[in-house]
Amino acid sequence: MDELEEIKVTFFQECDELLGDLEAGLLTLQDGAGDAETVNSVFRAVHSVKGGAGAFGLDALVRYAHVFETLMDAVRAGRMAAGLELVRVLLRAADVLADQVTAARGGGSPDEAATAAMVAELESWIAGEPSAGADTSEPTPTDTAEPNDDMDFGFTPMTIQMISLEPEPVAAPPKVWTVTFKPSPSLYAKANEAGLLLRELARLGPVEPHLDDSAIPNLDVLDPEGAYLTWTLRLTTSEDEQAIREAFEFVDGDCDLSVSVDAVEPASPGDAAGDLDIARLIALATAEPESAAAIPLPLPAAASEPAVATAAVAPIAPATPQRQATAAAEQAPVQATIRVDPERIDRLIDLVGELVINQAMLAQRVSAHGFAPSSDVSMGLDELEQLTRGIQDSVMAIRAQPVKSVFQRMPRLLREVATQTRKQARLVMEGEGTEVDKTVIERLAEPITHMLRNAIDHGLESPEDRIAAGKPAEGTVRLAALHRGGRIVIEVQDDGKGINRPRVRQIAIDKGLLAADAQLTDEETDNLIFLPGFSTAGVVSDISGRGVGMDVVRRSVQALGGRISIASIPGSGSTFTLSLPLTLAVLDGMVVDVAGQTLVIPLTAIIESLRPRQDEVHALGSQGAVLAVRDTFVRLVDIGTVLGFRDQATAPNEGVVLLVEGEDGSRSALVADAIQGQRQVVIKSLEANYRQVEGIAAATILGDGRVALIVDVDALVAVRREPARPVEPLLIAAE
Amino acid sequence: MTDALRLEPVLDLKAATPLQTALLARRGRAVEIDASGVERLGGLCLQVLLSAHRTWGDDGFPLQVTPRSEAFTEALRLFGADTRLDESRLEEMDAQ
Repeated sequence: MDELEEIKVTFFQECDELLGDLEAGLLTLQDGAGDAETVNSVFRAVHSVKGGAGAFGLDALVRYAHVFETLMDAVRAGRMAAGLELVRVLLRAADVLADQVTAARGGGSPDEAATAAMVAELESWIAGEPSAGADTSEPTPTDTAEPNDDMDFGFTPMTIQMISLEPEPVAAPPKVWTVTFKPSPSLYAKANEAGLLLRELARLGPVEPHLDDSAIPNLDVLDPEGAYLTWTLRLTTSEDEQAIREAFEFVDGDCDLSVSVDAVEPASPGDAAGDLDIARLIALATAEPESAAAIPLPLPAAASEPAVATAAVAPIAPATPQRQATAAAEQAPVQATIRVDPERIDRLIDLVGELVINQAMLAQRVSAHGFAPSSDVSMGLDELEQLTRGIQDSVMAIRAQPVKSVFQRMPRLLREVATQTRKQARLVMEGEGTEVDKTVIERLAEPITHMLRNAIDHGLESPEDRIAAGKPAEGTVRLAALHRGGRIVIEVQDDGKGINRPRVRQIAIDKGLLAADAQLTDEETDNLIFLPGFSTAGVVSDISGRGVGMDVVRRSVQALGGRISIASIPGSGSTFTLSLPLTLAVLDGMVVDVAGQTLVIPLTAIIESLRPRQDEVHALGSQGAVLAVRDTFVRLVDIGTVLGFRDQATAPNEGVVLLVEGEDGSRSALVADAIQGQRQVVIKSLEANYRQVEGIAAATILGDGRVALIVDVDALVAVRREPARPVEPLLIAAE
Repeated sequence: MTDALRLEPVLDLKAATPLQTALLARRGRAVEIDASGVERLGGLCLQVLLSAHRTWGDDGFPLQVTPRSEAFTEALRLFGADTRLDESRLEEMDAQ
C-alpha cells in the first residue's frame, strides 16, 4: 500500500503540471493563437488527470473529468469550434477541475454546487454540440464510438449539413487498426487497470476485442497479481496512431503494445502497408522522461512550446504523419528528468550554506596563522573556495525555475480586470523562460498581480478615450522578465495615458505628503505614488483598491531585497520595473566596519568605493552634507548614525565612502569606517529569527561565527531622507 | 452440494487475492457465483474468474456466474470475455 501511496503522490505532482498545461493551452486558444496541437494538449491534460484518478478510484474526480473530457473531445474532433465563449467556459471548467484535484488530494471537499453547475454547463455544451452553428442540421449522434463524425482537427465552426451532403474534404477516412496489448504484472502493480485502458481505446471508435486467456494457469497456481492475458483489439477509427497510443500513455514500459493499421477501408482488412516503425516509437516512448510535460508521445514541437505559439499564430493544420515523424526526430534527444522532493533540495541548500560559512571560517583561521598566499595551505583553500562556489551555483541551479508558473496566471487576471473595468486589453508576455530561484518565484506573484491590476485599472484608458486619442481601442500590457546585472527584472508596461503628474502632485500635497511648493523632477513625481497613503483613484475600486497601495507593494518588494520603480510618458503609458535578486539564499556583499559593527552591503548596489578629500565634502543645511563626485553632488549618508550605532557622524575623509545607486537611479554616498573585503554571504532572515529592522534587509553569519547585518541600501537612504523629505527639494533649489 | 459466493461490488486490484482465496476455499464443489452486485471488474479479478472457470471445468464441477449485474456484463464485453464464463464447458461435460 505504501507503494501505492507513493504513486499517488506522484500522480498529484503530475496533476499540478497537467493543470498548468491545461490552463496554458486554454489561454493560448483564447488568444486565438492555438492550433490543433493546442487543443490536443488541453484534451490530453484532462484525459491524463482522469486516467490517473481512475486508477486510484477517485470517482468524483473521474466523473467530473469525464464530462470535461467529452466536451474537449468534441472540440478536438472538430465537431465544435473553440470559440471565445467556449474557451471561457473551459477556463472556468479548468478551475473547477483544479478544485476537484485539490479535494481529491485531501484538501477539503469541493464545492458541490459549483461542480454540479459546471457539469450542467459542460453538458449543455455537449448536448448543443451537433447543432452548433446550424440549427437545421440532423443531429449527429454524440456517441464517441461513431467514427464518421471525426473531422480530424478541422478546427472551424461546423456549417450546415456538411457531413451529409458534401464529401468531407478534411476528414481522414476511417482505418482498421490492430492493437495488441499484453499487460505486464508491473502495470497492475503501479495501480493501472487494463479495463480502463480498453475503455479509453473504445472512445476512439468501435473496438472488437479478442481475448487470449490461454496462458492462464489453474487457480491454485495462479499469481493473483500476475498478468496472463493478451488482447488483440480491432479498432475502427479515423484517429491516427498517436491517438491510439495515447490511450496507453500511462503504461509505457508496463505492457507489450503494438499498433498496426490493417487497411484504409474497413471492408478490406489485411493490408499492412501503413505500418509505422513501431519499434522506434516504442523505444522513444519508453525513453520519455517522467515529467508530465513529456508524458505525451511524440508530438509536433509546438505542443511543448505554447508560450512561443502566442507570438506567432501557427497555421491550423491536421497533424500529418510526416509532421509527427519530424517532431519525433526533434524530440529524440530529450533529457530524462527526475522528481525530487523540494524539501530535500532545501536541505541541500541549507547544508551548502553551512559549507560556505564553514569554508569562510576556515579561511579566516588559516589567514590568522599567517600562511603566505603562495603556501600550499592557502592555495588548497583557494581551490576549496572555488569548489564551494561551484557547488553552491549548481545547487542553486537545481532550484531555479522559469517564471512561467507565475506568468501563466496573469492572462486570466488581465481578462477579469479588463471586464470589470470595461476596458479592452491584450497581454503580451516575454521571457517566460527566465529562471529564478524558487524562493523568489513564490513571492513574485503578488507584486506582479498588483502591478498588472494597476496597469489596467489606472494605466489604460477606456476604449472610447483611446480611440479619441488616436490609439487602438484595445490597450496592450506587456509583461516581461529578464536577467539584468545578476538580478531578475520584471517589467509591466502599458500603452495607456501615463501618469497624470499635476494630479499626482496635487494629491500628494492634499494629503500632506509633499510641501506645496516642493520642486520635484518628473521621476520624483512619478514615484510619489509609492508613498504610504497615496491612492489616485477618486473612487476606491475593488480592482486596485483592495486595501493594498503601491506603498505596500514597494515595501514587500524591498523586504525581498528588491526594488520597484516607475517610468512614465504622458499619453504613451507607464512602465513599472521590479527587480529582485535571483536568489534569496546567498548574496555577494561588501563587508564593512561601522562603529565597531560588521555590516554587509549588497555588491549589486555599489558603484564604487572611494576615500574623499576634505574639499570634496560640502555641508548642506544644519546636518546634511554632499560629496562632489566628478561633476555631480551626491548625498552623504553616515551608516552609523542612521542605524543608531553612534550619534556623531564620521568625517567622510577619515572613513571610506561607498557610492551606491538606488533602484530609481538616485545615487548616495554611504560612509563607513573601513572595508574588510568582498564576500559571498548566506542570507539568514532577520524577520524569521528576530524582527524587521528598518534599513536592514537580512543577516548573515561571518567566518568568525559572528552575526553581521545586511544593509538594505534603498531603505537606509530612505531612513536618512524621510524626515526631511517635504523640505529637502526646496533646499536643493535654494543652493 | 452447491456452494454460493457473492462477489464484492468493487473487483479491483486489491480484490484479486481475496477472491482467489475465497474461490480456492470452495474447490471441489459446485459453485454459484453471484455477480449481481458487481459495479467494477478489473483485469486481475477477471483473470481469477477465468482461472477458476478453467479449474472447475478441469475438476469436473459446475461453476456458474449468475446472476450478473449490467456493469459486470458490460465489463466482460469490454474485455472480450462475454462468453468465457458461460457454462458451455459444463454442458459439454454434462452431456458426456
